[in-house]
Amino acid sequence: MSTEAVVAAIKESGITRAPIRISGGSTWLDAGRPVRANKTLSLAGDTGVVSYVPGDLTLTVRAGTTLSEIDRVTREHDQWLPLDPYGSPDGTIGATVATASAGPLASSFGLPRDLLLGLEFVNGRGDVVRGGGKVVKNVAGFDLSRLLTGSWGTLGVITEVTVRLYALPETDRTFAVVLDGSEKEVQSLVRAIVASPLTPYAIQLINPPAARALGLGERPVCLIRFGGNDAVVRAQAGALSQVARPKEIESITWVRLRTLEGRAHTTVRISGLPQRFLNASARIVGDDIPGIFSYMDPKRGTLRIVVGADRGSDDDSMIGASSTFRPDKSEASDVIFEKLHPDVWPAVSPSAISDALSQGIKRAYDPHNILNPGILGD
Amino acid sequence: MTQPTLASSPAQISPARSSLAERLADIVGERHVLGRPSELLVYNSDGLPGYRRQPRIAVFPGTREETVSVVRLLADERISFVPRGAGTGLSGGALADDIVVIGLHRLKKIISLDVENRRATVEPGVVNLRLNKHVAQYGLLYAPDPSSEAACTIGGNVAENAGGPHCLKYGVTLNHVLAMTVLLPSAEVVELGSKVGERDGYDLRGAFIGSEGCFGLALDVTVKLTPKPQTVRTLLADFTSVNQAAQVTSAIIASGIVPAALEFMDGTTIRVVEDSIYAAGYPRDAEAILLIELDGLESGVSADLEVVRRICIDGGARNVKVARDDAERMKLWQGRKKAFGAMGRLAHHLIVQDAVIPRTKLPEILATIHAIGEKYRVIVCNVFHAGDGNLHPNIPYSADDPDESERVHKAMTEIMQACIDAGGSITGEHGVGLDKMGYMESIFSEDSLNAMCELRSVFDPDRRSNPGKVVPVHSCKEWNAVPGGRLRTNGPSSIEAEGDTPPLQTEPSHPSAT
Repeated sequence: MSTEAVVAAIKESGITRAPIRISGGSTWLDAGRPVRANKTLSLAGDTGVVSYVPGDLTLTVRAGTTLSEIDRVTREHDQWLPLDPYGSPDGTIGATVATASAGPLASSFGLPRDLLLGLEFVNGRGDVVRGGGKVVKNVAGFDLSRLLTGSWGTLGVITEVTVRLYALPETDRTFAVVLDGSEKEVQSLVRAIVASPLTPYAIQLINPPAARALGLGERPVCLIRFGGNDAVVRAQAGALSQVARPKEIESITWVRLRTLEGRAHTTVRISGLPQRFLNASARIVGDDIPGIFSYMDPKRGTLRIVVGADRGSDDDSMIGASSTFRPDKSEASDVIFEKLHPDVWPAVSPSAISDALSQGIKRAYDPHNILNPGILGD
Repeated sequence: MTQPTLASSPAQISPARSSLAERLADIVGERHVLGRPSELLVYNSDGLPGYRRQPRIAVFPGTREETVSVVRLLADERISFVPRGAGTGLSGGALADDIVVIGLHRLKKIISLDVENRRATVEPGVVNLRLNKHVAQYGLLYAPDPSSEAACTIGGNVAENAGGPHCLKYGVTLNHVLAMTVLLPSAEVVELGSKVGERDGYDLRGAFIGSEGCFGLALDVTVKLTPKPQTVRTLLADFTSVNQAAQVTSAIIASGIVPAALEFMDGTTIRVVEDSIYAAGYPRDAEAILLIELDGLESGVSADLEVVRRICIDGGARNVKVARDDAERMKLWQGRKKAFGAMGRLAHHLIVQDAVIPRTKLPEILATIHAIGEKYRVIVCNVFHAGDGNLHPNIPYSADDPDESERVHKAMTEIMQACIDAGGSITGEHGVGLDKMGYMESIFSEDSLNAMCELRSVFDPDRRSNPGKVVPVHSCKEWNAVPGGRLRTNGPSSIEAEGDTPPLQTEPSHPSAT
C-alpha cells in the first residue's frame, strides 16, 4: 500500500460515496465509537524506514511500520522512540499518531504530539498533504501535524511519519514499591516520591488486580523507572530508598503492563490536576475489584481504568460497568473513553467533534464524510 | 503602497476612517486609539527592520471585554486587522498594511498561578520574562525563552510558536501551552485545550499555536510551568575554526546527551558582542564558541559535563571554561541573547534568517554559508541554536547602498536554498510572516498549502485576521475559485497586495534593539 494506492482508494470511495474504515495493525479496532463503513483500508502493509540518519536523531517511516519494528531498527544505533502506548507493541506508528496514544513514558518524554516532527497524509479528496518536516524545530506553515494527531483517521489517512528519537540511556532500571499500610501512609509515601527532586522516566501506581496480574503480589504497587547515565540513576535509586523500600524488578514489567489490557471491553482515561490525583491516590489504587485494573500516573495526572481484561468479552456486566463512567461535567477532570460497548457510546459520549470549528475542519478535509465516519461521533 | 483597503469603496474612506476611530475610542477610550501617521510610525515595523507597512489605525484594548468589543466592531464592519504583542517578531508578521493593529500589551494580568499543579493562566500581553520572574520565587520557570524574552509577550509567543535556546531540551511553546481562550475574528470566544487534563477530539490548541495571528487572538493562555533544575552548569568552549565547533556540536548531539542549550557564535559575532555593552568575556581571537548548558540532578550533570568537556577537547577546543557561579553564567548568556542588538554596531541594517537543517549537516552548511558570503562579498554573522540545527545567519548591511542590498539579498536567497536542499525548514522559530512567504512553495506542495488555507478559512472565513501572511494567496484554491475574489476592495484585497510581495525587501530600515 503506497501513498498512490491510498489516493486511488480514497478517490474511488469519494466517487461511490462508500465510507472507509482505516486500520493499521488491527490491534485496537474495538477502540473508539463504531464506524459506519463496509470497506477497510489497511495500512499494515505499508511499512519500512524512509530515512534514518542516526546522528540527526530523527526517523521517517511509512505509517504501517510497527512500534516494535521501530524499536528494533533504532536500538541497533542505541536509540529509541520513547513512546509506549498501552496495548500491543505490534500497533503501527500511523495508528499511534492517529489515536494520540501514549503510555507510562509520556510523563517525561511527552505525548505523540510532542514527539512528532512531521507527517504525510491523504485527505478525503485524495490530496496528498504534508505537514511539518524532518528537522527537530519547525514553524513553517500552519500546524497540520498537530491537527492530524488524535484525529482518528477522520481528516486524512496518515501514510508517513517523522519522529524525534532519543539516545538509549546508559542505564535503565525499574523499581517496585509496595504500597502497604493505611490510606494516609500510602498517600504520604506517594507524595514523598512525587514531590522529591527525582526525575523518573515513568511512574505508575497500580491497583491490586493489576499487581496480581503482573506477579507483583496482592497489594497496590508503585512502579518507578529511572534512566540516564549511571551516576544519575544510582543517585535516584539511592534517594528513593530514603523514602521507601524499593525492590528492583525486571524492565519487562513495562511491556507486561502495556499488554495487560488486550482483551478489555472498556477502557477509560480520566485526567485532571495532578494534585487532585495525588490526594485521591491511596483510595484509587486501593480499589480491589476483580476484573478492573487501574493505573495512575501522578505526574501526568491521568488514571486509566480497564475493565474486563481478564474475563470473557461477552460479559453482560460490561454495559453496566461502562455506563458507570459518566463524564464529570465539573472543571476538575476530563474523561476520555477509549473503549466502550457500542451501545453505550451515544449515552456516555456521543461526539468529540461537535463544536463548530471541528465540524468545519472535518467538512473541509473530508467533504464526502468517507473517512472513519462515526469514530469521533458526528 | 496599495490601494485603500478599509472601506468598501474609495468614496467612503474618509468618513469611514474617522467614524471607525471614534467608535473604537468609544470602546477603549480616546487615549488608546492612534490614527495620525506620525503616531503610527512605531507600529510600521517589527523586529525585522527590512519591512515597513503603515497601519491605518492602532487600537489598544485594556480589558478582555474591550478586546471582544473591538473585534466585534471590526467583524461587523468587515475590516481586517493584525493582532500585535510587543512587535519583537522577526518575520514581518505583525505588520498591518493600511488596516487596523490591535495591540494587546495592555492585557498584562497574571490571572492565576497554581504552584502545586505547576500551571499559570495569563493574559496575552504578559511579558515572557515577567512571568518567569513571578514564578521563580516558587522554584518554577516557564521554559520557552526567546532572546527577546525581556520584551516579548506570551500572546506573541503563542502566535509564533516561539522557541529559544533552552528549547533544545524543554521544547517550544507548543509543548508548554495547555489551554487558551481564543477570540475568533468573528468575535466568537472559544476554549481550546484543557486547563486541567487531556481531551479527545481535534487538537485545535495545537493548530492555533504558531498560526501567526491568522486564526484570531488569544485572550488568555494557560501554560505549564517547569520545576527549576537542581543544578545548572554552563560551559564555554572556544575554537580556532568554525568547522571544529560545528563538528563538536554534531558529536555532542550524537552522543545522546541532551544539553539544556547548545549555542554557537562565530568570530565576527564574538567580536561585535565584545565591543558592545553586552561584552561577556568571550575570547576575541576565537573563530567560534559554543555555549553549552547542562541541567538536572547534580550527579547526572557532573557525569555529563565530563563527557561534553571531553568531546570539546577531542574536537579541538582551545579552552573549556565552566562558569563558576550564577553571575558568570548570566553574563555568558547576556552576550548571546543580545547579539542581534549588538550587530547594530556593524551597520544600520540587518537581515536575519531562521532556517533549520539536519544536525549532521551543520559543518557542511556552515562551509557553504561561508562560501556564499565570500562570493557576494558580504559579512555573514552566525549566532544560532546549534543543538537544534536552527541557524540564524545574519548580514549587517546598508540598505541605502543598492549594490550592497542586492548582493545581501542574493546571498540570503542562496543560503536559504542550500538549507532547503539539505532537507531543512525555512523557519524554526521566527515564523513565516511576510519574510519567508516566498519560500513556502519550495517546501510545501500546492495541495499542502491548500490544506493550510482551508484550515485558516475555518477559523477566519473572511481572512480578516492578519491577511496576506504565511501562505501565499494564490495557493488557496477555493479563494481563487471565487469570481472576482481577488479584486475585492475589502480586507482580503490586502492579501492579494501582500501575497505577491517578494520575499526580501530593500526599504530603508534600522536594526532591532532586541
